[in-house]
Amino acid sequence: MMNFELHKRKILTFILLLAFVWSLLPVDWDKGLLHAGGLAMAGQIFEAALHPDFSPDMIMLALESAWITLAYATAGMSLALVLAFFLGLLASGILAPGNKSRRWLKRIFRGVLSFMRAIHELVWALIFVASFGLTPYAAIFALAIPYGGMLGRIFAEMLEDVPAEPIQALKMTGASAWQCIFYGYLPIVRAGIISYSMYRFECSVRSSAIMSFIGLGGLGYQIQLSLDDLAYSQMWTFLFFLILLVVIIDGWSTLLRRRLGS
Amino acid sequence: MRKMNFVTLSMMLFFLLFIGSWYFVIVAENASLSELFTEKNASHAAEFFKGLIGVGEDNNAFLSKTSWKQALGLTRETLQMSMMAIGFSTIVMFLTVIPAARNVADGTLTLSQKWHSWLSYGLIRASYVVSRAIPELVWAMIVIFIFKPGILPGAIALALHNFGILGKLCAEAIEDSDSRPVRNLAAAGASKTQILLYGVLPAVLPQFLTYILYRWEVIMRTTIVVGMVGAGGLGQQFKLNMSFFHYTEVSLLLVCYLILVFIADFISERSRSFVK
Repeated sequence: MMNFELHKRKILTFILLLAFVWSLLPVDWDKGLLHAGGLAMAGQIFEAALHPDFSPDMIMLALESAWITLAYATAGMSLALVLAFFLGLLASGILAPGNKSRRWLKRIFRGVLSFMRAIHELVWALIFVASFGLTPYAAIFALAIPYGGMLGRIFAEMLEDVPAEPIQALKMTGASAWQCIFYGYLPIVRAGIISYSMYRFECSVRSSAIMSFIGLGGLGYQIQLSLDDLAYSQMWTFLFFLILLVVIIDGWSTLLRRRLGS
Repeated sequence: MRKMNFVTLSMMLFFLLFIGSWYFVIVAENASLSELFTEKNASHAAEFFKGLIGVGEDNNAFLSKTSWKQALGLTRETLQMSMMAIGFSTIVMFLTVIPAARNVADGTLTLSQKWHSWLSYGLIRASYVVSRAIPELVWAMIVIFIFKPGILPGAIALALHNFGILGKLCAEAIEDSDSRPVRNLAAAGASKTQILLYGVLPAVLPQFLTYILYRWEVIMRTTIVVGMVGAGGLGQQFKLNMSFFHYTEVSLLLVCYLILVFIADFISERSRSFVK
């Protein structure tokens, strides 16, 4: 039996390798992959990383755009959490009275959640900008929908994995459905939800940075502007701020996860 | 007691951040929610969505054979781009993952510690952080300066972002794996490559495959975005049609993209349960 298991892995690895080779076919490897002068350009770009522009004006601008990026990410995440709470609750099926209605509830809301997260946040942003115009809400809603979908799915899975005994104990004492949720389910999934949300918060900062691609302010906008000016040393300043922001949030969430886990 | 304090402090900090950012959005940016739902915006939105489903459009892309042909070709290109991207990042991950594991760097796994193992550990981990912190789209904007347009720069940009994530996940898988068989190999005098092939790989391969398939799913979702800055595939055409106001073409491409994403989800889920 063990042998067969190992073969399964080999088969899958082999299929994946074949797929990779197939994917390399359409590229025209002979004709030269780089632009004329592309190599020199690459040299300039990476050389600029060694001396980023840290003049006071740039630092102030970078701080301001980092704050805009963080603010959009936080606002989007807070909406996503609200969405995920209600949709996840419905998609977990714990509110449904009977077995049949539970199955339908699950199927419908899982579909909704997977539709929400299937479309990338930038595509949502383009759709919102096309219908609302260029406001911060376009970015915030565009972040909230896919992140709500991802968080909601995990939230629903966590709620389903809650052991039945404590909930039954609560029900025996006469707790209503909402009381079961607040005193039974939520305390059990709390740690898991917090650590997953922190991980997603880090991702949302990155996503919020690229929201500027459609014309909203923030780090990504500044990166794009300096790339358009071919000002690579300025671009690296903003990139370093973005890296710093992500590293800080990553460190925070690692600490928090460690405290919650142990 | 201290354990609770840090969690409470974090919650308070997050709450402050929450207040601060909404205050910033509403007051400083002067963005009012009620302005979104004016009649003008409503008519714009209605027009846009009508355009998407093809009401009042002269040439509906869903009925045109050439549009379908083009969209399907781009779908195949996008699929190839995603596979190329995950392939590149897997290769780079395999080349760097051994020195990036903490238990290799401090010598508990391979029973030998060299002066440069902490150095390579630090350098590789730092490169993972940089690669992970910079979003795919920004990588794509940089890569497009260097490479000729096509699906290759898109794949490279996606790979640049994902090898950091994949490397971090896989290095952690090595750190969590059972070190006894590997130590045995090392004690018997196996070289670095032999340790990788016969000790580490068999133990962590299922975990690696899970991560690779999971990242492939994510890459599939992101291909459309790197395409938008000119890296080929569905995204490039999407952006072009959006600027030309060819809305039915946009929705045709969106449909293809959605199907691709759902297929990727399905395949990756199936193959993960296949090897489990």
